[in-house]
Amino acid sequence: MNIPNSSTAPAAGEYAGDEVSAIVLDPGYSTVRAGFAGEDVPKSVCPSFYGLTDEGKYLFGENAIHAPVGNVNIKNYWGSDGIVEDWDTATKLWEYAITSRLTGARPGDPAKNGLNDGADANGDAMDMDIDAIENNEKPLEDSPLLVTEPGWNSAKAREKYIEIAMEDWGTPAFFLQKTGVLAAFASGKASGIIIDVGASHTSVTPVLDGMVLRKGVQKSPLAGNFVSSQIRQTFKQATPEIPLTPHYLVQSKTQVDAGAPAQATYKSFSSNPPTDSFRLNEEDRILTEFKESVVEVWPGPGRFTNGTNEELAKNMPGRPFEMPDGWNQVFGPERFRAAEGLFDASAALTSETNPRPKDEQTIPRLVQAAVQQVDADQRPMLLSNIVVTGGSTLLYKFNERLNYEINNIYPSTRNKLIAPGSVVERKYAAWIGGSILASLGSFHQLWISKKEYEEHGAGIVEKRCR
Amino acid sequence: MASGRDVRDMLGLPAGADVPKAAVQKRPKPAGGSRKIQGVAREVAALYGERPPPVAVYEEKKAYRAKRQSTGPAKKWVQQPFTNPARPDGLILKHWRRKPTAAPAVQESEDAAMQDSENLDAYLESCTDYVKYDIKVDMPTFTDEEYDAQLRSDDWSREETDYLFEVVQDYSYRWAVIWDRYEFEPSKNRQITQDNANADQEQALSTLPFAPSKKRSVEDLKARFYEISAKLMKLRIPEVQMDADQYSTYEMLTKFDPVMERNRKMLATALINRNMDEVKEEEFLLTELQRINMAANRLDAEREELRSRLDAPPPNQQVSAGLQAFTSSQALQALFQQLFQQDRSKKRASGGGTGPGRLSLSANDMVHTPGSAQQQLSAANRRQSMAQQPTAQTPVKHLSPHQEYRFNVSTHDRLTSGVTFGSDKLLKMRQAKSNVQTQKIGTMLASLGVAEVISIPTSKVGDVFENLITKVSKLLDVRKVREKEEGECRVLLAMKERRENGGSASVEPRPKQEIPDSQGTPDVDADGENDDEEDAEGDPENDEDEDDAEGEENEDRGGFNGEEDADEDLDVDAEGEDESSKQQSRATSIGGAGHKRSASVFSQGSQQSSKRLRK
Ligand SMILES: Nc1ncnc2c1ncn2[C@@H]1O[C@H](COP(=O)(O)OP(=O)(O)OP(=O)(O)O)[C@@H](O)[C@H]1O
Ligand SMILES: [Mg+2]
Repeated sequence: MNIPNSSTAPAAGEYAGDEVSAIVLDPGYSTVRAGFAGEDVPKSVCPSFYGLTDEGKYLFGENAIHAPVGNVNIKNYWGSDGIVEDWDTATKLWEYAITSRLTGARPGDPAKNGLNDGADANGDAMDMDIDAIENNEKPLEDSPLLVTEPGWNSAKAREKYIEIAMEDWGTPAFFLQKTGVLAAFASGKASGIIIDVGASHTSVTPVLDGMVLRKGVQKSPLAGNFVSSQIRQTFKQATPEIPLTPHYLVQSKTQVDAGAPAQATYKSFSSNPPTDSFRLNEEDRILTEFKESVVEVWPGPGRFTNGTNEELAKNMPGRPFEMPDGWNQVFGPERFRAAEGLFDASAALTSETNPRPKDEQTIPRLVQAAVQQVDADQRPMLLSNIVVTGGSTLLYKFNERLNYEINNIYPSTRNKLIAPGSVVERKYAAWIGGSILASLGSFHQLWISKKEYEEHGAGIVEKRCR
Repeated sequence: MASGRDVRDMLGLPAGADVPKAAVQKRPKPAGGSRKIQGVAREVAALYGERPPPVAVYEEKKAYRAKRQSTGPAKKWVQQPFTNPARPDGLILKHWRRKPTAAPAVQESEDAAMQDSENLDAYLESCTDYVKYDIKVDMPTFTDEEYDAQLRSDDWSREETDYLFEVVQDYSYRWAVIWDRYEFEPSKNRQITQDNANADQEQALSTLPFAPSKKRSVEDLKARFYEISAKLMKLRIPEVQMDADQYSTYEMLTKFDPVMERNRKMLATALINRNMDEVKEEEFLLTELQRINMAANRLDAEREELRSRLDAPPPNQQVSAGLQAFTSSQALQALFQQLFQQDRSKKRASGGGTGPGRLSLSANDMVHTPGSAQQQLSAANRRQSMAQQPTAQTPVKHLSPHQEYRFNVSTHDRLTSGVTFGSDKLLKMRQAKSNVQTQKIGTMLASLGVAEVISIPTSKVGDVFENLITKVSKLLDVRKVREKEEGECRVLLAMKERRENGGSASVEPRPKQEIPDSQGTPDVDADGENDDEEDAEGDPENDEDEDDAEGEENEDRGGFNGEEDADEDLDVDAEGEDESSKQQSRATSIGGAGHKRSASVFSQGSQQSSKRLRK
């Protein structure tokens, strides 16, 4: 028996794969994902937050934005409506995400990109690279590019994508696809309802045969960032208030009892203190950590505030959390509170800066609204293919609750949640779907080529990427 | 990035040329020991000594994974530029391909490499593997004249109709998507004309080149599209020339009823939007129904078992009437006496003559025993008593003729003893005295289409068959007579001819008259028999059918209700989908090969899924 090993090529026609070294770019509010089509994880994941120094210099990448130096403002290029706002920076940041890990400063030919250089490689490599940049200004001249977009992207924004790809990066072929469709593809579905709970937005997208049903696309700002702000309020409203001290402020810490004030030595930045936006971003990191390790979604049945559920929660064992400065506590029923707002607007914590979210922004209502906009004949089929994706769906017990809520709305249909078990697949579903799509042989004819772009202009995305 | 030199520096190796030499030195000499155990550290192997190892040592050689076959140097791969013929713009992409081996042996020098890459640049592969995915949908087309003559609508402008066709083509008949993306707005310059035209408002809408855009439902869109498709289809192929497939498509298209569709969808929506209580109630009712059904089944089974245990005789009116009489102890006593007597008489009879069969006895006995007056009756006059007994003793239930007919009850003045099979009786009737006659009857029956074996030989069928057989034999007799007469005629004619030839002119007209006679009667008879025969076959079957049908109808009704309940939640939608998809696919196949569309470009989803699975 001849078992194929890694060096045997797959049989022709075994799957319709035919890679053309395409690059897939999946920009999100929290991170930008980029990688080669055909691979199973994005090689380059880089934060969408960037630093802008007072001198107008841009700082990209994890290392740069978390370094506590003065005069750096941490920003994000996304607008509050879930559409890219700052196109110039977006272009720079995406280019950084692609070139820093994938193509290198000098794209293309692997025989000459320095990775395969033998014994005679010398220290001149850096200089050569710089030369190469000058020679070769367009960074993507050899790679077709597939970019993902949110389902509610405006026509203008879509044209902007292709302009950047074609004019700034010189890509030979381009395609734009909605994250919802790609997330469905990643789960092996061509039709379904995609519930994507990301950082800035939660979206519900009905997809039929690989096409988004536009009228059904729903979005709301109740997502990861909302949960973070809820945690922030929990900390503020606690008595005594729970201090939120980011890592960079802590020099050293000592162990203290649960609930006792922290005993740590703090760093002082007298001459050149980091900005407020920097601190906010660093605090958000702690909140994310808290979200991942403590916050829990009330799994149902019923809402958290219903009847005796809160009493029940009190009897469950708590979860401990320790701040960077050593302060620690076991969190009891209040840990259910932070994410409850995603499902039940009336349970959200409010303050003067954080008004009560609207009822129709909660996830169950979004699903309902989306289904309502779909032809009645398709509804049962869509409801039996509910794909769950996005980083915030990793919240503990999120799927149980979602399942309960959906069965509560549609008790008479067979509703099925499809939630990939692995964290990577859940977080990067849209990218993975793009990776699959762009490496298919049958996709070759869908690319918008440079020639077509030059012939028809940017308006061609509307016609081709439906 | 650390270069090779940096690494060497760190490891304290001399820079440059020495490295290859070291590599050469390192080449191992063949191992000294003849038996070298693989997969075991040298020190451990040394402990084994001379003896074989106490446990089986896993040998690396036997690994299950196929070994990489080293057939010469590593194969070269190149980034092969290619075009996809399905693309009109000739986009050139590159994919990795094995370097063609036919190329001349390449020397490992810069020059050769350069040359090589030039060669490859020159070669442009045309990759046709995926052209099959480039599928265009079939669309009905029409000309301006056709539109003006046939396809105008009060509700639809030409512009919007064209737009509809465009969208249908763009989204390959996926009506849900078509409806989702359908955003018709009359073009701008025409809007101006509209404003001008507003003056003479009362113009019929259809004559205007535009119509105000309005919200259309899927049904509206489908109705318009199907209507046009049907009209065009009829125009291209007249109805009478359509083959079955085309005609069913055509019918489907013409029969589309938007109002009904809309109502159906409303019902489907209502079904989906039921709340928890309603669903629970339905569930409860369904389980209840199931419970009842199960209980009914069980009850039936129990009854069945009881019946079989009691070994009740076949429902014979006389017998059951007789049985009723045995309910009192007095009657049972009488029965006992009667049996006793019978036993004795049997013993007496066993000496000589043939005693009556057991089966017939029991039936007869039961009927006449209850009467106290008859107790003394001997077996000899039993028959007589039987004739008068029912009227005198047991309250025989009289059935209406219809019921009698239905339950197949018959009364007999005399019963022959023993059991006979109806089919035997029929078979006997087929047999005549002579073999030849039997055969003739057989062929006659065969020509009438009467089967060799009649499946349900009820007494009625038997009667009718008897009728038929007598007629058949009568017919055969008549035929025989006719043949004889004809023969005679022929002889006489021949004689007459001879006589005429011989000069005699006397002619006898009688035989001529006889011929039509003899021919006429059998014909009429035969016709009559045919009719009779048809009746004979038809009647009993029809009647039975009637009874059956009644029963089935009732059952059906019950079953249908049950099913309806059970499947209500899903079936409606499923049907709906089926219907619409059928319509869709029919509509597609107007031009012919519409099925191919299913393998369209957009079916990538499934391919992806399979790819994912492999991953
Ligand atoms: N294990 C986890 N538990 C809870 N939340 C998590 C976890 N991992 C990541 N998240 C949250 O998920 C969000 C990031 O998800 P994702 O990468 O899907 O968003 P995005 O695509 O960048 O944003 P958007 O879709 O809004 O543009 C962040 O808010 C992060 O805090
Ligand atoms: Mg996202």
